[in-house]
Amino acid sequence: MSLIRHVTAPLIDQNPVTLQILGICSALAVTTSLATALTMSIALTVVLVASATVISLIRHHIPSAIRLIVQITIIASMVIVIDEVLQAYAFAISQRLSIFVGLIVTNCLVLGRAEAFAMRNPVLPSALDGLGNGLGYSLILLIVGTIREFFGAGTLFGQAVVTTVADGGWFQPLGLMQLAPSAFFIIGLLVWAIRSLRPDQIETPEYTLQQQEARR
Amino acid sequence: MTPPLVHFRWTPANVSVTQTAAMLPVLIAVWAAHGPAVLATLGVAVVAALAWEGVFALIRQRPVTAHGLTTALIIAIMAPVSLPLWQIAVAVSLGVVLGELIFGGRGFGFLNAGVAALAFLVFSFPGVALLQANFWVAAATVPGAVLLLAVGLAPWRPFVVAILSVAAVKLLSGEAITLTDTGAALLFGLVFLACDPVGGAATRAGQWLYGALVGGLIGLFAADTGPAITANAVVFAVLLASIFAPLLDYLVVEVNVRRRRNRAGRAHV
Repeated sequence: MSLIRHVTAPLIDQNPVTLQILGICSALAVTTSLATALTMSIALTVVLVASATVISLIRHHIPSAIRLIVQITIIASMVIVIDEVLQAYAFAISQRLSIFVGLIVTNCLVLGRAEAFAMRNPVLPSALDGLGNGLGYSLILLIVGTIREFFGAGTLFGQAVVTTVADGGWFQPLGLMQLAPSAFFIIGLLVWAIRSLRPDQIETPEYTLQQQEARR
Repeated sequence: MTPPLVHFRWTPANVSVTQTAAMLPVLIAVWAAHGPAVLATLGVAVVAALAWEGVFALIRQRPVTAHGLTTALIIAIMAPVSLPLWQIAVAVSLGVVLGELIFGGRGFGFLNAGVAALAFLVFSFPGVALLQANFWVAAATVPGAVLLLAVGLAPWRPFVVAILSVAAVKLLSGEAITLTDTGAALLFGLVFLACDPVGGAATRAGQWLYGALVGGLIGLFAADTGPAITANAVVFAVLLASIFAPLLDYLVVEVNVRRRRNRAGRAHV
């Protein structure tokens, strides 16, 4: 029961993107189309599960002083493997993702889960935690990617869903959706929606207005 | 018994009404230039802006305001009349909600909602050219501009500095300018967009810096648009400068605090 919780909690309740605000840069960069968003999601989830498993396996043998270096080395190895696989079997999409697969190494999410969870938990929970966080990240990326590709180009996975004005149809794509600010807006609105439904996610404000009696 | 003193104070409602009054002549001039289609744009913009204000007033249980009127007027004056009305509605909705209402309403954010909506229009739809001005539009901007500058609703410092820095950039680059287009875009853009009490800097030194930033950016953005300074360049310059305005204010306050602390320190030694 509690093992399942490792996978389900990061979907909404502990979502790495909308609650912990991690992995934002890649969420902005690769969500212009659904295909790149999906590829990135799969790549990150695989790296997260694999690195969490390996780090958890050898967690008793990692000296505390150099643990970050060891974690990064393991994560980087996984990323290189994924990058090579993508280049071998999905060259076109790996070209479109350009450096962002390589930059999974620096994704705060991967190192964050390794340091916070895999370093101090057994293998199975660590792998499940990695899977859950990967799926939580993927969920947000796919939502943002769907919205941006549909409203920005009228397509989903590159297939025309509605005919655009340029092709003689009626749909006028919103150019803004293909630009990075739209991902900020969409993620912000998602955070807003989730926190409206789950008020316990709302952070306490740094400053509050003092209640004062009105002077007569 | 002393008679009750009535103090006049600028409230958000007063500000909105005065800004609306200042923009009415411009609207009439645009109407005369482009025909009654501008009224349809205005109608859609007013409905969209006020509807969102109503929704947020309902959610936040606050009294309904009508600040959206000024935003709608800016859109009606600046947006080309040939734009489909749904594009106006989408742009106004995003501008008002993301530029103003999510921060808590007018006066709580750091952007002019009109600027946000216009920037959205230009970013999203290809080939949008804002504010197609003629001589009468430029002339009709003058009374409102004088009114706002005179009562201090549009601070004069950024206005003057921005004009000077645009002129400086244009002189340095040695380009001629056509007066009508440039005049209308500059005057309307600077008074109603750049010198908006919400979007600009608040401290005195900050206002000088903000004005220089707006003017410099206008000169930069208008570098490749030929002799006329287009309203598009003004809108983007104001958008970027508004984002930096809080930083400018922060720096000015910080410098002042340092200066006073040093002075007090020396006095104590």
